[in-house]
Amino acid sequence: MSQNPSQQGQQAVQTTGHVWDGDLQEFNNPLPTWWVYTFFATIVFSIGYWLIYPAWPIGNTYTRGFDTITYVDKAGQKVTSHWNTRALLMEDMNKAAAFQKPFFDKVLATPYEQIAKDPELENFVMATGHSLFENNCASCHQTGAQGLVGHYPNLTDDDWLYGGRYAQINYTITDGRHGYMPTFGEVLEPAQIDDLANYVASLSGIHADPAKVAAGRQLFHSDTAGCFYCHGEQATGRHVIGAPNLTDQIWLWADVPAHHTAQGKIEAIRKVIYNGVNKGVMPAWGDRLSPVDIKVLTFYVHNLGGGQ
Amino acid sequence: MSSVAAASPYALGADRAAAGVEEYNFDIVKKFTIMTLVWAVVGMSVGVYIASELAWPFLNFDIPYIEFGRFRPVHTTSVILGFGGSALFATSYYIVQRTCQARLISDFAASFTFWGWQACVVLADASYMMGHTTSREYAEMEWPLALLILVVWVVYMNLFIGTIMRRKQPHIYVANWFYLAFILAVAILHVFNHLAIPVSMFSMKSYSLFSGVQDAMTQWWYGHNMVGFYLTAAFLGMMYYFVPKQAGRPIYSYRLSIVHFWALSFMYMWVGAHHLHWTALPDWTSTLAATFSILLLMPSWGGMINGIMTLSGAWDKLRTDPVMRFMIVALSFYGMSTFEGPMMALKEVNALSHYTNWTVGHVHSGALGWVAMITFGSLYHLIPKLWNTRLYSVRLAAIHFWLATIGILLYIVAMWISGITQGLMWRAYDQFGNLQYSFIESVAAIHPFYVMRMIGGVFFLSGVLVMVFNVTMTILQGKREERQALAAGGLAGANV
Amino acid sequence: MKLGFKHEWIETNIGLMVVITMLAISVAGMVEIIPLFFIKGTVENVAGPRPYTPLELRGRDIYQDNGCFYCHSQMIRPFRDEELRYGHYSLAAESQYDHPFLWGSERTGPDLARIGGKYSNAWHVQHLIDPRSVVSQSIMPGFPWLATTPLNMSDIEARMKALRDVGVPYALTKQEYEADVKKFGPELAKQYYIPNAQQNIIEQANANDYDGRKNGPITEMDAVIAYLQSLGNQVDWSKVNENQLVKDR
Ligand code: HEC
Ligand code: HEC
Ligand code: HEC
Ligand code: HEM
Ligand code: HEM
Ligand SMILES: [Ca+2]
Ligand SMILES: [Ca+2]
Ligand SMILES: [Cu+2]
Repeated sequence: MSQNPSQQGQQAVQTTGHVWDGDLQEFNNPLPTWWVYTFFATIVFSIGYWLIYPAWPIGNTYTRGFDTITYVDKAGQKVTSHWNTRALLMEDMNKAAAFQKPFFDKVLATPYEQIAKDPELENFVMATGHSLFENNCASCHQTGAQGLVGHYPNLTDDDWLYGGRYAQINYTITDGRHGYMPTFGEVLEPAQIDDLANYVASLSGIHADPAKVAAGRQLFHSDTAGCFYCHGEQATGRHVIGAPNLTDQIWLWADVPAHHTAQGKIEAIRKVIYNGVNKGVMPAWGDRLSPVDIKVLTFYVHNLGGGQ
Repeated sequence: MSSVAAASPYALGADRAAAGVEEYNFDIVKKFTIMTLVWAVVGMSVGVYIASELAWPFLNFDIPYIEFGRFRPVHTTSVILGFGGSALFATSYYIVQRTCQARLISDFAASFTFWGWQACVVLADASYMMGHTTSREYAEMEWPLALLILVVWVVYMNLFIGTIMRRKQPHIYVANWFYLAFILAVAILHVFNHLAIPVSMFSMKSYSLFSGVQDAMTQWWYGHNMVGFYLTAAFLGMMYYFVPKQAGRPIYSYRLSIVHFWALSFMYMWVGAHHLHWTALPDWTSTLAATFSILLLMPSWGGMINGIMTLSGAWDKLRTDPVMRFMIVALSFYGMSTFEGPMMALKEVNALSHYTNWTVGHVHSGALGWVAMITFGSLYHLIPKLWNTRLYSVRLAAIHFWLATIGILLYIVAMWISGITQGLMWRAYDQFGNLQYSFIESVAAIHPFYVMRMIGGVFFLSGVLVMVFNVTMTILQGKREERQALAAGGLAGANV
Repeated sequence: MKLGFKHEWIETNIGLMVVITMLAISVAGMVEIIPLFFIKGTVENVAGPRPYTPLELRGRDIYQDNGCFYCHSQMIRPFRDEELRYGHYSLAAESQYDHPFLWGSERTGPDLARIGGKYSNAWHVQHLIDPRSVVSQSIMPGFPWLATTPLNMSDIEARMKALRDVGVPYALTKQEYEADVKKFGPELAKQYYIPNAQQNIIEQANANDYDGRKNGPITEMDAVIAYLQSLGNQVDWSKVNENQLVKDR
């Protein structure tokens, strides 16, 4: 280093003269000039900051700073406030709204069937729907909405618990759903449940014991078990109560796809009849999402493939 | 060794030497030094483990005691209080005795701080694993342990100040100013941050005296100053002794020491709210924190300048002396993280960095780069002195240096990239102004960097293990030499 | 040189050094913390935020003990992306009964300030037992022991009393109970009546199917989910004056 020799030379003059622990000494070099000026610069910066933004508490209030923000509130009123983080958000929301509001207004004004006829609008709705879905619904229905057997329905097929028309989907999202099937384990004999399971399996073309299937068919349509009240005479389900179609080889609660033998598949069905179903809770989003968000989601879900 | 000490005619020293008592209490320094290394291994192993849990969550094994949320404070406590704390006790006791030419005023009190402190760290770690925590970051220990720490701290304070009062030289050395500020500040912070009402005398659980926004401010007033006074000021004290010792040169600027010491002491306390930018904390508090953080930049660099300029007279040694290399890298990381900190304290930058791994990267550029490296450098100087021998292997120290440096770089680069990725993904919009990504996509995106961080940790930890080996061999060598000297009938006792 | 000369005084006098250092480090806390108790609007004046019921309180303790707050923040910042992802920005008023605050400093997992009502109890049970069975890319640890550990409610009264000591309006006396009725309505006031705490826990757990086993044993799972479901939906935003919230900052 260049100043090295000079320092060495001045050493005797420059130290403070104190010595600790044998050889610890201190040079008395001045503060580096660049250091002092930069320090002053940070002070100037800070004072500027304090003048512009809320900064110093005084008694039971504080200095607001000279900077202001003007935004339009929900009532459409122009409000001017001192700079602060919340006003900044308001301003930001105004900017986003200026861009998005025309789209949302159009969504509200356009009937579902017409949305697809306006490609730009459809693009907007699908993009927004995707975003809303992935951030709110995918934890249950999974990314891509294929559902999770045993827990959450697939929304991309054309099998619907509660119906796949716009109004039905909209209702499902707004108010939520809670599907319920009673426990039959205590009401029916094990043999009866076995018969029912064989019958239900046969509806989906799973190879089942013909004698049990016959007995099961009887039971299904009898008052003893009463399955037909909910699942219908044809076992094709009833949307009003969310009872699924049992003839379409699509399973939500019975983990049929996981089993490769007919025996295993029947056992999976037996379990559901034995235990019933009570955990099918779809939360209500009416309080969390705006009506237009729900309309967007409805269109999005409907459009995933299975809309009716 | 020190000619002044050897020549000093002070009666006390002479009396004690005559009575078979050594001039200084180095026994306590040795104990804390060894525990520094033990806690380094424990704390950093746990660090590597929790880093692995984030990369491969099955490693939680559904075992409550090592579940990430319970194990994480075991890491922070073991490294900060165990490793960092033991290093600070060891060096402060060493430095205060040597620079005041006075023995610690009480061996018993010194011993008490040792056992008390080790007990605190062990019990705190155990209590987190059992599921007891105040949830206050860096102050997670529940009230009985907080009280124990307080007692130890008061004894430490008395011991330190009492020893300074017995100094043989009117001037208090600059290293001691920093240790003193650290001890006083931690005492105040600890007391106010732990104000709480226990559920009962027999329950570990307590509820904080304050709630919500005031509680948050109190906690981060504490939290930042755990960084400011504990992880920075105190380690500057270490720097102010070992850097000039190792370089064999005077401190660069006495005036700079004064200005930056008082500026740091005054200004650190103001900046806690930069941990609460954009939260429900009022904006005025945030502004003060942001500006004081900027004001801290130059005072912080004062320490770096003083350290680097002191070393700079000895550049030639840098090529051959790994101890100096640890010190220069430590000072560079100190400078870097005290530059990064004020930048992150600006509201706009913090809007992006807060809640992300960027913070974790910043933490470890300070914690590994500065705190751990300056400690390693100082211990490599200290240990041969304590055991009266030479370092067993300079080559191994050089290997340690490179393992540590590579480890740090892997760690912080991984955290920067992943932190910025998180920040940008969370606020990314599609062409219609909708959120572009779901949260879980950001989790998946940073997986590779969690792995990279883990590998960095393994490097750093391996370096520590190399050091442990080197130090063990050094100590054994010291003991062997001592035995040989005794056997040779040498003047072991008079060996100054 | 001038400066050094003056400093000589301090650095040769340990007592003076201690005193000056103490002064230097005390100013900030006084300027920054104390006013937070006095400046109006620091804790916004909005209706809705309420103390936790005994079951929720135990859930919060367990949330704390397991270190959930290291990964989950509970503080939504006033940014548009956070508003879209998590909901309305958090108010200071919403954590006024939180001893300690649990705002968190990292988002290894998502913010939970408004998680209440977002998912079903069944989802939480499954997710807490095995997060990757619902969210395949999750890195959250499983907490299966919550479902098997019976909830310790033996010291619930002592816990509520301690919180009462630090200012949470849990009621011990008839008067305090009446005050709670006025402030929070009869339903909640019953929950805040300390002598009934154990009974309240049992009733709330049985009336809601938190852990999926109605009338089964009351577990830590019941408590944690009761807590999660209480988060963030207490303020009725349609009744809040947004412009006042802005002014308060
Ligand atoms: C907590 C988990 C969960 C979340 C989150 C969730 N759902 Fe559901 N959803 C369910 C369950 C469970 C069902 C089946 C209800 C039943 O079995 O009665 C369901 C059913 C549905 C149905 C009816 C399917 C049918 O076959 O009739 C639609 C449509 C639907 N969800 C859409 C959504 C949308 C859109 C969102 C996000 C805004 C969403 N869900 C969020 C759990 C959830
Ligand atoms: C009270 C109405 C009701 C009755 C009676 C009833 N079910 Fe159901 N069942 C449902 C509902 C509703 C669901 C779907 C539950 C959900 O989605 O939450 C269901 C689901 C099922 C499933 C699962 C389908 C799948 O996709 O996995 C099977 C199998 C089944 N029922 C068979 C039966 C049989 C056999 C009987 C008679 C013993 C029966 N159910 C009686 C309402 C009923
Ligand atoms: C290692 C970090 C970690 C810990 C510890 C942790 N979580 Fe999580 N949590 C996550 C991650 C990552 C996600 C996002 C992926 C997912 O949904 O599983 C998440 C998601 C969640 C969600 C869903 C949030 C949403 O909006 O989708 C809830 C609720 C939750 N965690 C609760 C808890 C509770 C309660 C605890 C403690 C008992 C806990 N977490 C501990 C990392 C963690
Ligand atoms: C082998 C070396 C180390 C590894 C692998 C490691 C790893 C980790 C990990 C994984 C976390 C948790 C981060 C998260 O929650 O996302 C963490 C936190 C932390 N570590 Fe380390 N660590 C190491 C060394 C150290 C050292 C030596 C110190 C201090 C001297 C330290 C101080 C901290 C602190 C203060 C935190 C908390 C950070 C925060 O809350 O933002 N670590 N570390
Ligand atoms: C002037 C110097 C410094 C300033 C102004 C500063 C500023 C900051 C800021 C703004 C944050 C992020 C807060 C957040 O967004 O949550 C932070 C976090 C942190 N910093 Fe620094 N920093 C400085 C130096 C250091 C040093 C030298 C260390 C050394 C070890 C350090 C350790 C930490 C830790 C542990 C955290 C994490 C706190 C948490 O748990 O969230 N900082 N710092
Ligand atoms: Ca379907
Ligand atoms: Ca943190
Ligand atoms: Cu800080």
